[in-house]
Amino acid sequence: MTDPIVIERLSKEYGQYVALNDLSLRIEKGVCVGYLGPNGAGKTTTIKILTNLLRATSGRAYLNGEDVINHPKSALDHVGAVVETPEFYPQLTPRECLSYIGTIRGMKSSAVAERTHAVLEQVKLLEVVDNRTRTFSKGMKQRLAIAQALLHEPAVLILDEPTSGLDPRGMVEVRDMIKELKKTDITILMSSHLLNEVQEVCDKVAIIDRGTLLTYDSVQHLSATKGTTVVINTLNPITAAEFRAVKALRGVRALKRIETLTLVAQLDGGTKEQFTVLRGILATGVKVTSFIPRRGAIEDVYLSLIPEGEF
Amino acid sequence: MAPSSARQIGTVVKYELLKYLRGRRLLAIVLLTIIISSIFLIVPPAIGTQYEKDPKEFIGQMLGFLGILSILSATFFGADAIVSEFESKTGFLLFPNPIRKEVIFGGKFIASALVSVGTIALYYAIAITSVRVIDGSIPANTGLSFAYALAYLFAILAISYLFSAIMSSSVYSLILTFFSFFLILPIVDAVGSIAKFKPWFSITFAAGIATYIFDIPYPTDKAFTTTTGPQAASGASQTLSLTQYYPEVQLSLYVMGAYFIVALILSVLLMRRRQM
Repeated sequence: MTDPIVIERLSKEYGQYVALNDLSLRIEKGVCVGYLGPNGAGKTTTIKILTNLLRATSGRAYLNGEDVINHPKSALDHVGAVVETPEFYPQLTPRECLSYIGTIRGMKSSAVAERTHAVLEQVKLLEVVDNRTRTFSKGMKQRLAIAQALLHEPAVLILDEPTSGLDPRGMVEVRDMIKELKKTDITILMSSHLLNEVQEVCDKVAIIDRGTLLTYDSVQHLSATKGTTVVINTLNPITAAEFRAVKALRGVRALKRIETLTLVAQLDGGTKEQFTVLRGILATGVKVTSFIPRRGAIEDVYLSLIPEGEF
Repeated sequence: MAPSSARQIGTVVKYELLKYLRGRRLLAIVLLTIIISSIFLIVPPAIGTQYEKDPKEFIGQMLGFLGILSILSATFFGADAIVSEFESKTGFLLFPNPIRKEVIFGGKFIASALVSVGTIALYYAIAITSVRVIDGSIPANTGLSFAYALAYLFAILAISYLFSAIMSSSVYSLILTFFSFFLILPIVDAVGSIAKFKPWFSITFAAGIATYIFDIPYPTDKAFTTTTGPQAASGASQTLSLTQYYPEVQLSLYVMGAYFIVALILSVLLMRRRQM
């Protein structure tokens, strides 16, 4: 069976500048992929080519087995996309905008009405369903953009920095929404600058720089390989015996006291290993007041792959 | 599954018309049409003069403003139709859907043509009603005049789409469209009269057939002289030899048709190639 998103040797050049350089990527069905890279790495260029907003210089891209470069109409049929923060026609209301997009996609009017209610409720815009979009904030437009991408229940969802422009609550809500969507068969490609967001939401990570794919791996595997740094705060100063006992726990690579009540531990693996180590620490009698992963595995991988000075 | 292109064109037309109805431009052009018409109907009695007795003269005078209404229609409804999708980022919403750019173009063009034709039709309707009420008859060739006016309208609408597909800013496209037809080409037409070349290729010159068609027989080119200069009264004047050129109906229709087809094809090609 064809993978829902297939990119083969994709290149995009703007004169001398190479935005994408022979990029190949194959995303399996039902997987949520975080697409990471510094500014100008080629993330948005890839997404724009996949959504027929840009023409590739060479290479191929397929969505649900359809060639998006030569047959964009059929390729985009089961795809929902949010690219940058799109603007909406200021004269139209969210209901009319969604009706426009739904009708273009061939949805029946009853289905459009039903799905409009559902997606606007999902993005919490139901109260303003009949207000003109000219008065909407950037965050509201971003929510509406997500709503239109979900309107036709796509098999593939392509999101370009979906939490951009949202307030902290909005960001959490969008992440929760993506987590809910992951329970279905949907395939998601999501670019982001927020590494923690990607670690929290995505199953796999693709990191690109200067138009070249540097790594494509599962979050679980990367976590297991890179381990996690954890800051441990205790109620009382830890004794030498307790320190030795914690250091000897399985999964603890290194342990360092940085303040009287604060330790930093380098652990193997990801969240499961963190749980095992925390249980072990508590078993030694150390009174733990907090146990905070300081930096995610994705962040470690990202920083090791992207040279200093790139943003 | 995405519907046929024909159905998608219908959808684009519907929502473009809705945008026009909700926007101010449609209201503005309708008001202008009514104001211009009212000037002809209100001013003569207001200043104590009578309406033109000859129906041909009366409707000819009214239709003298046809050009500006056509230009305003093309400017309002065509000049930023394409560029605005790119400039205001609404293209990020529309283009990632299973719809061809040609279909979007077609829908937009049909919608703008419908409201522009409506505007011109309204103006003709007011002019015909007025001449019927005031002079009791409708001049011959009014139907032909309307047909020629539409030919001009379609040609300049297509050119306004071409500007919209080329320019990177809506404001530049609006300015270029308006001043090309309102100022630049009319200057070319006027220079032709002095420099003794017939500007048959100029679309604003060709547009004259919509009003000259009321003249029976249809006028032909004629040379004449005029005296000019500050000392004209004292005998130190200059004699200027001019030619009054008239557009030929058939050639003008070909010119307008050529502008329409070439501009439309180029606009579609440019829009297809344009990237976000």
